[in-house]
Amino acid sequence: MVPMNQVLLISFLLFSIGVAGVLIRRNALIILMCVELMLNAANLNLIAFARHSGTVAGQAFALMIMGLAAAEVAIGLALVVALYRKKDTVQVDGINLLKG
Amino acid sequence: MEQLEYLFSTLLTKHVFMLFGTLAVLGAGAMIFSKNAVHSVIGFLLAMLSIAGAYLCLRAEFLAMAQILVYAGGIVVLFLFVVMLVEMTKYKERKIFQTQTPLALVVVLISAVTFLGVFLKTIFGKSAEAALTLKPELTADGFNAATHNVQAVSRGLFAEYLLPFEILSVILLVALVGAVVLAKSERG
Repeated sequence: MVPMNQVLLISFLLFSIGVAGVLIRRNALIILMCVELMLNAANLNLIAFARHSGTVAGQAFALMIMGLAAAEVAIGLALVVALYRKKDTVQVDGINLLKG
Repeated sequence: MEQLEYLFSTLLTKHVFMLFGTLAVLGAGAMIFSKNAVHSVIGFLLAMLSIAGAYLCLRAEFLAMAQILVYAGGIVVLFLFVVMLVEMTKYKERKIFQTQTPLALVVVLISAVTFLGVFLKTIFGKSAEAALTLKPELTADGFNAATHNVQAVSRGLFAEYLLPFEILSVILLVALVGAVVLAKSERG
């Protein structure tokens, strides 16, 4: 039997690492991976609470989040490839067109 | 099946879950701190596989398999393709962190400490000591969420939450078309 506090702790750590990665990395690909990591941390919580309540709603929604994450990755990677064609870089601080 | 039931009901599951959780955190750490983008993708793969193992410990067999198929089979390969496509020319990055890194780390640490302070009683207090017990009540059509996982999840997905599922399929279609349009070369 897995205690709830372990699940919450692991999911909290994963989410924090994801937030830190989004904030500190320059590579757009790694920022996308960190967003995926945050979605997975949320999924872990959903499944734990589904297990806790004995119903299946959390697992069904975790599956939907997984599909949504796949869609997000497809769009994000297409954006990165388009950006690389235009600006020849994937470093997010090299993309400052709006600054004028 | 009997042995499997026994394994899931013993105290061993707790330690196996902790092992998978530690591996996931290590993989995530390797993901953000490695200089080489390919190494980052491999750390991400380790984290995703460990999270699938954690799902298995929580008795969500179908989701664990879906996690391996979607992430390890699809998303990681997609990431590797794009890394190879984009990064090969500038393989080693000298500066991998933003200029705002110290500030960002301080902000993340402060919010983490605040979160832990607020939820310390909830996560580590007496109320959290009770194990994740599976409630005996059954889901739709008498399928238990743990012993008949796939049947129960499919009932939930296709009977109770059919509308969100259909909306998700539309979102996937839009994402597919959008990705094709975005990645298309401008001359073609």
